[in-house]
Amino acid sequence: MIPLPTNRDENWRYANLRPLAKARVEAVAASTPPELNLPPPLPGFERWVFVDGHLASPAPSGAIARALDARVAGAAFAAQLDESIASAGVDFALARINASRGDEVLHVALPDAATACVEVVFVASAPGTAGTSYPRVQIHAGRRGRLHLVERHLGAGAGDAAVNAAVDLALAPEAAVEHSRVQCAGDKASCFDTLVAHVGERASYKLHTVMLGGLTSRSTQFIKLAGRAARCELTAATVANGIQTHDVFAEIDHAAPETTTRELFRGIATDRGKLAFNGKIIVRENAHESDSEQSLKSLLTGAGAEAAARPQLEIYTDRVRAAHGATTGKLDDQMLFYLLSRGIERGTAQALLQWAFIEAAVSRVTPSALREDIERVIVKRLSAVASLDGLLAQS
Amino acid sequence: MSSLLKIENLSAKVGGRQVLNGLSLTLNAGEVHAIMGPNGSGKSTLSYVLAGRPGYEITGGKVEFMGRDLFAMEPEERARAGLFLGFQYPVEIPGVNNVYLLKAAVNAKRKATGQPEVDAYEFLQLVRAKMKLMQMDESFLSRAVNEGFSGGEKKRNEILQMLVLEPALAVLDETDSGLDIDALKVVAKGVNSLRSPERAVLLITHYQRLLDHIVPDHVHVLARGRIAKSGGKELAHELEQRGYDWVLEVA
Repeated sequence: MIPLPTNRDENWRYANLRPLAKARVEAVAASTPPELNLPPPLPGFERWVFVDGHLASPAPSGAIARALDARVAGAAFAAQLDESIASAGVDFALARINASRGDEVLHVALPDAATACVEVVFVASAPGTAGTSYPRVQIHAGRRGRLHLVERHLGAGAGDAAVNAAVDLALAPEAAVEHSRVQCAGDKASCFDTLVAHVGERASYKLHTVMLGGLTSRSTQFIKLAGRAARCELTAATVANGIQTHDVFAEIDHAAPETTTRELFRGIATDRGKLAFNGKIIVRENAHESDSEQSLKSLLTGAGAEAAARPQLEIYTDRVRAAHGATTGKLDDQMLFYLLSRGIERGTAQALLQWAFIEAAVSRVTPSALREDIERVIVKRLSAVASLDGLLAQS
Repeated sequence: MSSLLKIENLSAKVGGRQVLNGLSLTLNAGEVHAIMGPNGSGKSTLSYVLAGRPGYEITGGKVEFMGRDLFAMEPEERARAGLFLGFQYPVEIPGVNNVYLLKAAVNAKRKATGQPEVDAYEFLQLVRAKMKLMQMDESFLSRAVNEGFSGGEKKRNEILQMLVLEPALAVLDETDSGLDIDALKVVAKGVNSLRSPERAVLLITHYQRLLDHIVPDHVHVLARGRIAKSGGKELAHELEQRGYDWVLEVA
């Protein structure tokens, strides 16, 4: 029995862990997939579809990825590279449960200097009473390999699924991985995920997380800049409406010299929504000339909304540059008045400013077809209070 | 002659400080009025009070705009009824592009008067024509509102919005500040193109320079929160030569 994190654990203070305690730990059994209404495939990407953790589409022809049986997939790449990850404590409890319970793995071993675009869609359709779904992705990007990875989590059925996802990436020297992940699960779902990335010398990892769905969502991200001049660009955007709780914990570990982080978080909590972003940056003793920037902003628009955007720095060397800023606030009064003074309805003006706020993060998502999909979802949600017709057509 | 704007004995406080002290002023359709005055005389406060910016407390007097009680109207209602404020410091709104704002503003106004939304193509043609007048590059259309604009570009953008919205009353708060002479001429051309027997313009300015290019019908000196002196366009020249002190002494 793997002990679960609790709110007393340092990196889990803001997470809503009640669904974990209630979830059935057994994997959802494979069954005939339901009729799915998937977004159109992204041009140029091979698409893989998993339903409740089980492969539900034929392998694309000429695919670079493979679906493997979890028993033969072996230990995660990053864990192989770094023992501290394999032996880590409660922060990795969910990933270990995923590894022990999940059945199938999407596995990408990108050869040196190869280029690939992979989209994986995880649909959670079974109710939580049928068990937990365990999506799992393993990526190894070879030297100078370039991978564009899109990871989508969607809901089907009653929308009250339990999801525990695990993603493991290892980037060989000079590899470049751009990873966009979107959580649009059903509105009663609980979604937990653990991401581990090991970034080698002069490799570049761009991670864009967009969290929109689910009742409770927690993403735990550990990125190790392990090689000299490794670089990470981390973006996260969340919109917590109604009684949603969205929580992101991101730790970036500068474990080598000249490593760089650019971190941007934008979150909106409306109604009684709650959100938290905890951005921890560690700069090790040998990580001299490293450079990190954090810009964390959250916006509260409901009387019962809560937000916590927290930068956390642990620096063990002097020769570094670290810039960080964190704010939690309301809509900018001057911007609001400017729009009102042009005759824009108050509700529309507020929605427009919320849009502008979140777009600062969403605009970084690639490819553009995915970004536009996300923008449509966000505009639709913000339009609950006002019409934003034509906003996207123009932008 | 019908009055567009009738300010009677207006007093207002901001941050607990009395800034307007019984100001009275009437603008008729077709007129251009200039309000001049030293720093701190209440010029910007007047413009914000008229547009309805929060944080200003009306402590006395009343304002009628097109026959309606201005203070009973929300800022957005005032705008839709035809009041336009050209900001001294236009606000940057990243993530919202110019053409969207223009269109949303025009449609909000049309909706309020029961008209259908503008035709997208015709609207774009209109905006392009106005941009040409303001010597603005078309790339401004798709850029975020005022984001990264130079001071002069922001001011031109204000005038562009004004030209597209065609307000009955334009209140321009130090639109000339920070402009070089070429930009000033462009802005003046834009304002002059809006002059008509149905409209009025209230120019708030610190310097006489703007008034060489937009010739006012009336010039007022604002001091200590009220109109200290009024006259024709020649008053502006007199102020330029003699400064504000003599007016303040008389007042």
